Amino acid sequence: MARDTKVIGEAISRIDGLLKVTGGANYSTDFPVKNVAYGFIVKSSNAAASIKDIDTTAAEKSPGVIAVLTYKNAPKVAGSGNLSGGVILQEPKVDFYGQHVAVVVADTYEQARYAAELVKVNYEPLPAMVDFDAHKGEAVEPQRGRGSKRGDFDAAFVAAEHKVDQTYLTPVYHHQPLEPHSTIAVWEGSKLTLYNASQVVNGVQNAIAAVFGLKPADVHVVTPHVGGGFGSKGSAWPHVVLAAMAAKLVNRPVKLALTRQNMFNSVGLRQRNVQHVRLAASADGKLTAIGHDTTTHTAVTGEFIEQCGHLSSMMYDAPNASIGYRVLPMNVIIPTFTRAPGESTGSFATESAIDELAYELKMDPIEFRLKNFSMTDPSNGRPFSSRATAEALKKGAEMIGWTKRKMQPRSIRNGDFLIGYGVAIGSYPSRQVPSSTLVKLKRAGNDVTATIETAASDLGTGTYTIVAQTAAETLGLPMDKVEVKIGDSEFPPAAGSVGSIGAASFCNSVSETCIQAKNELQAKTGRTWVAPPTVAQLMEAANLNEYQTRVDARPSAEAQKYSSHAFNANFSEVWVNAYTGAVRVPRHVAVTGAGKIINAKTARSQIIGGCIWGIGMALTEASILDPRWGNFVTRTYNDYHIPANLDVGTIDVAFIPEDDRVVNRLGIKGVGEVGIVGVAASIANAAFNATGKRVRDLPLTPDKLL
Amino acid sequence: MRAFKFTPSSEPEAAVKAVKANSEAKFIAGGTNLIDLMKEGIEGPSELVDISRLNLTQIRSTSTGISIGSLAKNSDTANHPLVRRDFPMLTQAILSGATAQIRNMATNGGNIAQRTRCPYFYEVSVNCNKRRPGSGCSSLEGYNRNHSIFGFSDKCAAVNPSDMSVALAALDASVNVLGADGKTRVIKFNDFHRLPGDTPQRDNNLEHGELITSIEIPKSNFAPHSYYLKVGDRASHSFALVSVAAALELDGGKIKQARIAMGGVAPKPWRAYAAEKFLAGKTPSEENFSAAADSEMKAAIPLEHNGFKIELGKRAIVLALKRAAAGNA
Amino acid sequence: MTNGIDDREPGTEAELQLQADEEILLDELGIFGESRRKFLGKVAAAGLGALVLEIVAEQKALAFDAAEPSLSPLTVENPVTVSFSVNGMKKSIELDSRMTLLDALRERLALTGSKKGCDHGQCGACTVMIDGRRVLACLTLTAQCEGREITTIEGLSHGADLHPMQTAFIKHDGFQCGFCTPGQICSAVALMQEAKNGELSYVTADVRQKTATIKLSDDEIRERMSGNLCRCGAYPNIVAAIREVHTGKATDPMAELPLEVENASV
Repeated sequence: MARDTKVIGEAISRIDGLLKVTGGANYSTDFPVKNVAYGFIVKSSNAAASIKDIDTTAAEKSPGVIAVLTYKNAPKVAGSGNLSGGVILQEPKVDFYGQHVAVVVADTYEQARYAAELVKVNYEPLPAMVDFDAHKGEAVEPQRGRGSKRGDFDAAFVAAEHKVDQTYLTPVYHHQPLEPHSTIAVWEGSKLTLYNASQVVNGVQNAIAAVFGLKPADVHVVTPHVGGGFGSKGSAWPHVVLAAMAAKLVNRPVKLALTRQNMFNSVGLRQRNVQHVRLAASADGKLTAIGHDTTTHTAVTGEFIEQCGHLSSMMYDAPNASIGYRVLPMNVIIPTFTRAPGESTGSFATESAIDELAYELKMDPIEFRLKNFSMTDPSNGRPFSSRATAEALKKGAEMIGWTKRKMQPRSIRNGDFLIGYGVAIGSYPSRQVPSSTLVKLKRAGNDVTATIETAASDLGTGTYTIVAQTAAETLGLPMDKVEVKIGDSEFPPAAGSVGSIGAASFCNSVSETCIQAKNELQAKTGRTWVAPPTVAQLMEAANLNEYQTRVDARPSAEAQKYSSHAFNANFSEVWVNAYTGAVRVPRHVAVTGAGKIINAKTARSQIIGGCIWGIGMALTEASILDPRWGNFVTRTYNDYHIPANLDVGTIDVAFIPEDDRVVNRLGIKGVGEVGIVGVAASIANAAFNATGKRVRDLPLTPDKLL
Repeated sequence: MRAFKFTPSSEPEAAVKAVKANSEAKFIAGGTNLIDLMKEGIEGPSELVDISRLNLTQIRSTSTGISIGSLAKNSDTANHPLVRRDFPMLTQAILSGATAQIRNMATNGGNIAQRTRCPYFYEVSVNCNKRRPGSGCSSLEGYNRNHSIFGFSDKCAAVNPSDMSVALAALDASVNVLGADGKTRVIKFNDFHRLPGDTPQRDNNLEHGELITSIEIPKSNFAPHSYYLKVGDRASHSFALVSVAAALELDGGKIKQARIAMGGVAPKPWRAYAAEKFLAGKTPSEENFSAAADSEMKAAIPLEHNGFKIELGKRAIVLALKRAAAGNA
Repeated sequence: MTNGIDDREPGTEAELQLQADEEILLDELGIFGESRRKFLGKVAAAGLGALVLEIVAEQKALAFDAAEPSLSPLTVENPVTVSFSVNGMKKSIELDSRMTLLDALRERLALTGSKKGCDHGQCGACTVMIDGRRVLACLTLTAQCEGREITTIEGLSHGADLHPMQTAFIKHDGFQCGFCTPGQICSAVALMQEAKNGELSYVTADVRQKTATIKLSDDEIRERMSGNLCRCGAYPNIVAAIREVHTGKATDPMAELPLEVENASV
């Protein structure tokens, strides 16, 4: 193979970069659909109510209005499919504040937006469960029990010499990708095309098909570029259905974009978690018991919970453990996957408690962690296929300059600032799921080009580029001879970009497909090759100018005998303004063992992104629910503070090289989630080291450190 | 957003007349607050009179100080050589607010007339006396972490969001206003914004149709020892939890005169007169700054979620005075 | 390996025992419709028919060639006619007085590079330049743009001939999803001029000191770019891209970073 085709692992700039920096990349509302009408959503102002009536008269008379979609004229649906947030407009009833109760459709956006103000909804309020803190005692066992036990936690905890028994609070967090969820729905007969921001192309296709009783093949989902998702675009949400219903009603394509304000009430959230963590250790620093009990909430219409205790169950090899969950159904939008669901929030609790116990034991927190993990997953007894925790801790300590850290809090001061250092480790499971790829080869003389088609998605994760790299290297072609086509349900079904399954699922599938293409071509040549043939040689020998093949790739059974995770170590240097309590993170170090890194540049960016999510979790972000009405008081980017540029300092990223062929053929573990895991704890631990104040209630806004 | 008639204007008098003639008309200049409010359905003017091209953008020296055109952009004002030299605290205050893009759009008149960012004011589905007089205040019994600890009433506890106004209050500015009768009047800055009392719907003392033409700041000797400190939930691009404009005139190692105003703590820029009085004649020490801050903050009344502003306010006053004394501006 | 062809078995046909949580994850994702089991059957039966939809490759062409965007509106109340220049081209359109510049660009002029992230001036995704200064198109009434010169992301490049800022963003991976990117780049381009003009920021140490031009520290860049939110978290790479253009010094995007940090500014 030519040197320039050995591209796996290289730091290659995104192949979709040119489109993205010139404004040429089309996100869902950018598609130039002719004769499009504009929808605008009317939201519920009650958390629980029956709707006595909706008066749409004034709205319908408003200039430009074509129709107002409500429960009265919405088509009855065939089923709920896998729609998140429930099917709506089927009955005069609302289950949470901000639920969509009507859609105004007009010739222009301005007309639809104004007419939406004129829709009058007459509610009969019903009792609503919206005050989590007052009612968390009423939380129940989840329907899908995820707790676990090993050994005898209670006995071990009672008997222990050193222990931590603390409760850690995290607020509701919202994904708030920069691109609001949006859809353009176009009907042609009974076929529906949805230009819809989706992390999981086939998931949306299947869910919407089920709602309208269509064959999946009659629902065409187009989403070549997704403006961020972080889990919130993992499912189909009701507005997708509404766009399609509205388009049917007015017999025109309809463009329906959620407002930023809608985004707080309609596309999931990361729920508030109350985590009670109990750790026990012997005097020599060996963990003997881990207890992690999470109380959280879900929607009255369905259950979704994060596995906050998962990390506690598998990270440290304490012989006794008890992991439990309680959940309170509430009249609030259903939670959904949010970057590293469970591990991100769970690690704040676990890794803060580990830091507290290290202080209790007067041990260096790195040494304490090194002493308490093993290469076997204590939650299931399976060996880890690889685990870079120790290497990551050592490398990260060097990178941050851990020797500068003093155990005693408030030891380092520079002018108005108190300086501290913190550490926390994390992990996220690695999975490959079934995913299909079609490769099309074209030859003109010695020049071969490949087109890769798969219904994968790229939400900034780098899918285009890593797929091109994988195909180029496997086929022995230069990158610019590979065209990648993704984000379209007419391509072979693929895994989604969610749960860090994307890279492993897409790239293994692409690789297998390219291998199969070569194998099939070789068989067609009927020859034995002495020197490795190029694809061009194979096609020439087979007398083919075009060839295509498809593989439906699956994970191996062997992988199931192991526990596979990406592991990381985080180190933070924080500066706390001694007067105002404002916390800055001028430097954060993330060292990750994530198996094979396909693209060093985009993977580094993914980790940096995860760290910045962790900075947001730790310092700036919180959604506040008003316990009187169930609305979010934080309702725009002005109130819900995702980090701004100045909130972020230097982020130094390193990867520990791993060659783990158990996790999957290419050894890919995924980097989308692991980057956030442990970051908030690392920052909170550093803030304690700086100030002597232990904050167990995120975020660490200035008021908490006065 | 309700449909509106768009009326361009080229002369201040004509603009004033046009707004005065229509009780539902409003001026529009930079639009950074008004368009936001119109999209939210909070403001619904039937006519917008465009004043963005009026010739009210000069910033110039006067015999008494400086005159700043109401329609000069925030960014031009902050960067103006006279403002930088003589009122660096105003430069800092303006630059601490919003974002570069907003400051390029927003005008000085619009900045000081901007409305609160109280989330209950913005959420039209809940009660708000400022938005719907008489409907009730949702913040007093609600989530009031970023509400007032001074000057609020049982009708409204929203804070004024402007950073620029805090510096102007400390600098004893005044506002020149053109009325419908063609006459100008001068409003002292401290009288420009109103406390809510029983009429929280009125943020300031402008009458309908009155147009801010300029802001005047008197000469002072504060420039070498002044500082604008802002504490927010983000390092940048957030409204103040607490901000402090602190200015000292030092004379032979003593404080001849101090000016302190606070943002984020009251429905209007809050002049810390008690602290100023305490500092007059004292030495600029952290101990004195702290005592001055205590004397001011003891009058604060916390709501359920904003009690931290009392301690934060004290500390912010101390740090701002410390930096002002050190000549940080 | 035989004859250069990787012959390792690609996957296995065996039905897999997924762990319980994975089963739940996959169910909840709905990737496989009703159930994973059915998906596997469906895939096996799907055959190898060629499926061609040239969506991705043609997007750019679509965006720019969108057939004559409608320059006259449907019936609207309070129509205003506005003439201005966009990326050097004269435009005259009649529109609803309520229409923001952002909506006019996107819905009437087929310039969809400027993005609607929040529509309330809080995210910066709609940043464009008017008469050379960066502003927010979502809070700008088109009616106020008479005679103005507007530059959008589409106006910064000519074919593959990119603005240096665009090149630097690609090199330093100054974006992930790309949605905030047009606004970030417009903002960064305008920032270069602001620095040349000696304009200040809140983190500038001494605002009284006269400065012809400003050399931007990393914190200066961060503060001045804080009006452009990025949820993917590309900030450090955005700063690196801007630093490179500002200083003219090429840097390695993958380089190890210095051990010492600058003083925190605020």
